[in-house]
Amino acid sequence: MKKPRYVREDRCIACGACTEKCPGKFDDTYNADLKARTAIYVEYPQAVPLKYAINPDVCLKLTKDKCGTCETVCPADAIDYTMTEEMLTIAAGSIILAPGFKPFDPSRFDNYQYANFPNVVTSMEFERILSATGPTMGHVTTFPKLPASPKKKKDKLLAQKRKDPKKIAWFQCVGSRDINKCDNPYCSSVCCMYAVKEAIIAKEHAGNDLECSIFFMDMRTPGKEFEKYYQNAKHKHGINFIRSKVHSVTEDPETGDLTLRYVDELGQIITDTYDMIVLSVGLEISNETRDLAKKLDIDITSSGFAKTHSFEPVTTSRDGIYVSGVFNNPKDIPESVLDASAAASAAGDYLAEVRNTLTKEMQVVAETNVVGDRPNIGVFICDCGSNISGVVDCPDVTEYAATLPYVTVAEETTYACSQDAQDKMVEIIKEKGLNRIVVAACTPKTHEPLFQETLKNAGLNKYLFEMTNIRNHNSWVHKNNPDIATVKAKDLVRMAVAKAALAQPLKEEKINVNASVMVVGGGLAGMTAAKSLASQGYETHIIEKKDCLGGEALKLWKTAQGEDVQQELGALIADITSNDKIVVHTNTTLEGVEGFVGNFISQLKTDGKTTALEHGVAVLATGAKAFEPTEYSFGKDDRIIRTLDLDKMFKENDPKLDTIASAVFIQCVGSREPERPYCSRVCCTHSVDNAIALKNKNPRMDVFILYRDIRTYGERELLYKEAREKGVIFIRYDVENKPEVKVEEDCLKITLVDHVLNQPVTIHADLLTLAAALVPRKDERLANFFKVPLNDEGFFVEKHAKLGPAEFATDGVFVAGSAHYPKPVNEAITQGRAAASRALTLLAKKDNLFTSGTIASVDVQKCTACGVCVSICPYNAPSFVTEGRFEGKAGVNAVLCKGCGLCVASCRSGAIHLRGFDTNQILSQIFALDEVS
Amino acid sequence: MESKKTGSVVVIGGGISGMLSALDLANSGFYVYLVEKGPSIGGVMAQLDKTFPTNDCAM
Amino acid sequence: MADDNIKIVSFLCNWCSYGAADLAGVSRMEYPADIRVIRIPCSGRMSPKFVLSAFREGADAVWVSG
Repeated sequence: MKKPRYVREDRCIACGACTEKCPGKFDDTYNADLKARTAIYVEYPQAVPLKYAINPDVCLKLTKDKCGTCETVCPADAIDYTMTEEMLTIAAGSIILAPGFKPFDPSRFDNYQYANFPNVVTSMEFERILSATGPTMGHVTTFPKLPASPKKKKDKLLAQKRKDPKKIAWFQCVGSRDINKCDNPYCSSVCCMYAVKEAIIAKEHAGNDLECSIFFMDMRTPGKEFEKYYQNAKHKHGINFIRSKVHSVTEDPETGDLTLRYVDELGQIITDTYDMIVLSVGLEISNETRDLAKKLDIDITSSGFAKTHSFEPVTTSRDGIYVSGVFNNPKDIPESVLDASAAASAAGDYLAEVRNTLTKEMQVVAETNVVGDRPNIGVFICDCGSNISGVVDCPDVTEYAATLPYVTVAEETTYACSQDAQDKMVEIIKEKGLNRIVVAACTPKTHEPLFQETLKNAGLNKYLFEMTNIRNHNSWVHKNNPDIATVKAKDLVRMAVAKAALAQPLKEEKINVNASVMVVGGGLAGMTAAKSLASQGYETHIIEKKDCLGGEALKLWKTAQGEDVQQELGALIADITSNDKIVVHTNTTLEGVEGFVGNFISQLKTDGKTTALEHGVAVLATGAKAFEPTEYSFGKDDRIIRTLDLDKMFKENDPKLDTIASAVFIQCVGSREPERPYCSRVCCTHSVDNAIALKNKNPRMDVFILYRDIRTYGERELLYKEAREKGVIFIRYDVENKPEVKVEEDCLKITLVDHVLNQPVTIHADLLTLAAALVPRKDERLANFFKVPLNDEGFFVEKHAKLGPAEFATDGVFVAGSAHYPKPVNEAITQGRAAASRALTLLAKKDNLFTSGTIASVDVQKCTACGVCVSICPYNAPSFVTEGRFEGKAGVNAVLCKGCGLCVASCRSGAIHLRGFDTNQILSQIFALDEVS
Repeated sequence: MESKKTGSVVVIGGGISGMLSALDLANSGFYVYLVEKGPSIGGVMAQLDKTFPTNDCAM
Repeated sequence: MADDNIKIVSFLCNWCSYGAADLAGVSRMEYPADIRVIRIPCSGRMSPKFVLSAFREGADAVWVSG
């Protein structure tokens, strides 16, 4: 069902005239209800689509048939009160569910008094308070919900109490890990990190004398680079971390200050006063989403998350329906992004046979040849509503532009970016035969592609375009000097016109993409990526240095959800080996890689024999391995083992397991240490799971887990709960005060200081399992082959920590599995699928992948073959031509060139040109600095 | 005979995850319907100020 | 107030400083209007030639940022 917007999207130009006059008001959900918005609104300034909408519940016209102001003031005639709900029926081959979550509503918790105390806010509200576009414009203040200039008497009184807080407290696990006050037994996975972030940013905004304290149960920072962030917060930013659950909060009605009572780790009751409290609210599945799940008949867990299998982590219980994001268990942005690509890949595999049946080809307008023609420039000056014309005298600038050399058309437009303005531009270009276009408006960084598209529609090469920024660089920053801003706008337009006159049509070279794939590493992630790409019809080669597929997963017993790993892994390996699109190269190492996206040539060495493999893309999935502990007497006694050794005992049903009366696990062995300052992510769940298995085997067995923080994120928390219920004893230790292990004939003696009793305890154990860190292979050779970076610890560094987690900055190279960061089975598979999905978007563009037009080219007549460009380029784009007429001269590889111009500036003979930013073009801008006198 | 599948996908939810699913599918040869209950896409991520651990702007 | 006689030519890298200048606008910061921005694809594109030309054309200062 499509809900009515009451504003015609095809007409709305987002000028904002309607909202200035609108009398209706309702809570601004974007700003977490911290302020009110008008009944006709746009969700947020950067919203897509940037079109207004009317809230029918508060609009006076729609509720009471009064007002109608917006219709009167709208310059574009976009308001339509008669719009109604429409039912649309869509035929689709598959569904991806990404309905997200709702932040937990803490109003029902009486002990924190969120509903009554104005200085108790949720983390979502605090996020808006910190934001420069939020209700307080990034200024951290108490009584944040008051309007900036209060009108009501009551508000005015409260506003006098407003101050910059000196002490802020964060309460963790509000609405998470809690079955007493709410029904959310799971961990929301993101709150620890966002609280740390909010505390750091709050200090950045409010200055260093702001005191930030985070009250927590376990600090859960198991993601990539998270542990370092947490340690920095503690040691560099001076954030206090207090391990305690606050019992109650009271308010001083005079000042609004808040007093908390809590029990510290030593058992003392502490009372302390804060100016503000932020409740770190958890993520919850809304009833709406539960209803949707019911309608679609897919299984959900008791907490409302979609049920998935660890080996098909984005597939719901129903074929063809996939799930992504928080609905598929609480997770943060990069994991949601991985889910997104993985779900796309799963849906794509399901529909592989009908791929490309419904997509439409873009209509291409034939390009007019303008080479050799006299420049015929059209200048378009944008008012941007009143954003530019409110400061700059746009008619004056337009008039001036018309007088500049080669300019035949100068037009002023209200919104150059609106659809009708674009259509008009096409019309004018065709009518007047324009061959260069200048737009003076906002920033080319966001709008250049749009105007270039318009040029293409008018049959002009898109590089015959120049944009100059008279908004961000002018009207917005000189709003109190309209005269000077107008002069500056004229200067900027003159400079742009001078440059545009020299613009040449540029060609984008087609990139040939070899349709085969190389996957390095035959573990879970690599095999998953290979299987998906093969099912889309691409020939895929798996390079595995061992003699068999499976990787580290061969050593695992079962997943956190209880699936038998060897059974599933065996099935996957069978699928891979029987797939005729997949070639498995075992006992094979990679000896060298040449080329670039679409055209790699790799040297493979199998049993001493080297062969070359041509491929278009590569997926690096080389995994990680278990750390060899150097402490806790590891290696000195066979009763001291690692997690994977215990898995082996379980797998083989080792009779020794039946003789154990007391078992101990030590967590963080080799992780969260100065040499390896990261959390290995998988060990807490793994040990908890194995502890439960031991208890199930023999309920009378004493099982202890010695830990620093238990990090069973998401619904893994339920295992932690189950373990405690089954009698597994959890004892926390400090990194400064690690357990001591003494090997004796009849038992292992493990001594540590118990935090609750605050005195040493000694445990007699028959078996000690060390939760050893997962360490990366730190394969510098491989990293060099593909020119991809490794971080300090040796994990691969992805393109973007949030938005590019399965790919590298190097085009055509992707990453999956524990080589990126330690991850359990389901997450390795998700990333394998995500890497496949990202690779597929590149392979699918086979016939229309082009280089940029703004790249360097060599004038061979001038080139002296000195080699400066070859040595200076960071992307290895220039090289000496090896054959033909110009042998020995420099040539630039169009695919590798990023168009930075370093070689152009360095060339001592002036032989290299940077298309689009050529020397004469930049000089022309400099020459146009002043009026020609 | 198996009934022929349709080469299009409905993505429900226009947050970061839904948007990226839609992009990947559209770029790999499927027709995508992105369904969002609000007036614009972007989801919760658009409300966030900064993102951890790089403190990049979420917008 | 900006002096009419002063002109600063600034060569800003498209990927960082140019974006920063955009952001200054988005944040509605105010600064003197003496600057004329020339967008370059990277500060690596800068050549001494541009600096000298700018001074020859009467620039009072040249600012390269990237």
